[in-house]
Amino acid sequence: MRRLGVDSVPIALFIAVFTGAVPMYFVGALVGKTIMMELGPVLTGMALAGRVGASIAAELGTMKVTEQVDALETLAYDRNSYLIVPRVLAATLMFPVVTAFAMSVGVFSGWITAINLLDLSSPDFLKGLKLFYRFKDIWFGLIKSASFGAAVALMGCLRGLDAQAGAAGVGLSTTRAVVLGCEAILVLDAFWALVLL
Amino acid sequence: MKRSNEFAVGLAVLAALALVIGGALWLSETDVNQKQVTYHARFRTVGGLGVGSPVTLRGVRVGRVEAIRLVEEEWVETEFSIDRAVRLPGRPAVVSASASLFGEWSANIFNYEPLPTDPNLRNALLESDQAGGDAWPGATLPDIGQLTAQASRIAGDVGDITNRIGQAFDSTALKNLQQSVKDLAEISGRLVTFAGAQTTRIDRVSQNVTTTSDAFAGVARTFQNAVARLDTATADNELKDILENSRVSSSDLRAAAADLRSVMAAARDNQAGLVSVVQQADSLMTRIQEGNGTLGMLATDSTLYRETTMTVIQFRELLTDIKANPKKYLKISVF
Repeated sequence: MRRLGVDSVPIALFIAVFTGAVPMYFVGALVGKTIMMELGPVLTGMALAGRVGASIAAELGTMKVTEQVDALETLAYDRNSYLIVPRVLAATLMFPVVTAFAMSVGVFSGWITAINLLDLSSPDFLKGLKLFYRFKDIWFGLIKSASFGAAVALMGCLRGLDAQAGAAGVGLSTTRAVVLGCEAILVLDAFWALVLL
Repeated sequence: MKRSNEFAVGLAVLAALALVIGGALWLSETDVNQKQVTYHARFRTVGGLGVGSPVTLRGVRVGRVEAIRLVEEEWVETEFSIDRAVRLPGRPAVVSASASLFGEWSANIFNYEPLPTDPNLRNALLESDQAGGDAWPGATLPDIGQLTAQASRIAGDVGDITNRIGQAFDSTALKNLQQSVKDLAEISGRLVTFAGAQTTRIDRVSQNVTTTSDAFAGVARTFQNAVARLDTATADNELKDILENSRVSSSDLRAAAADLRSVMAAARDNQAGLVSVVQQADSLMTRIQEGNGTLGMLATDSTLYRETTMTVIQFRELLTDIKANPKKYLKISVF
């Protein structure tokens, strides 16, 4: 969880800074809505898919090609329970945490950008931000990010355990894990938009 | 998991929870310290008003919409949270209205009395007020969409009218209209020509009328003077004198007429003698014209006239010669 969640905070915040600056021509409501409901979860999920998904796939792929997975099974460890479930649970729990930081920093960045570049006053920005805020905006984004974490971790585990022999096989599995993770994020984003909105 | 990892994860999770909860409370303006009071208003429809929409008093935001729910008898009850420190009007009412072109709506608090002049708004507030209860009366103004729909309907009607006008004024009607305009122009030209031709006569008639009018004015003045004189004469008893003088003159005239009659009678008595004189004069004139007698011969015979003239000429020459050479004819000697 430390590696999957806490260590991923810097890159998530880095992306959030610039995603918050993107809608600089919009004001509070637009910044809040877009950051909390779409850009925060999706872009954070994309970033973490590259980082976490690749990490999981590379780790499990290496274990697979070095026969560590076989060794665990020899020791009567269920590879799904021992290798997959913890990672998926960890990602599911920590993605919303990272996304919450990303949302906060993204909204704050948009606020600062609007004030400095659009000559927008703080009351105006906050007025728009609060005016259209619904509590659903936050939990919608957090639920999405949790599903993204599960999907990214699951794709990383499956591609990693499916790695073929050699370093090239591990690299290919890693790439596939990232690609599948990003695709899963986009599909889930559309799914939650249909289900929850 | 290492202890440091557990600490880091726990810290991150707690921080995220604090951010989410704190942010949600802040953004939703949840009244944690109970600084706000809840009120209710009743509407037939709330339009675009939603949870979180601002509540304003004289344009100043004083609260927000907390909840909107359907209640019995087809009413919509709206729950407001308003700052406790705000002093509300004596009898509050609420109007839900569009606050901007971007779909933002707000609930505006104002005093129920006096009622607005807009009849729809007034009726809606009266109906809501008559429903009773603790809820404030509420009404909703039409939003931009409704206004634009109304404008669109009006534009459609104008378009229909335009089409009908277009159908009424087809090519044939247009040609007839053009011909009518041409005819009217020709009639106007003729009228102008006729007016130009009649201008002299009209001027003359006008002058005559003016002259007549002046004459009438002169007559009127004369008559006025005569009346004035008559008045003056009447006032000074001159009229009586005039009448007296006239009576005297009339008597004189009668006397003169009597004299004239006597003269005429005398003339009638001498008429025979006068006729005889005239006849004699006529006979004399006849004889002169016939060249009888001395006068007749003088009047008719040119020879006598020429000789007489020659005699006169010779006499003048003689006198002239005498004047020029007096010694030729006169010889005066003193000694």
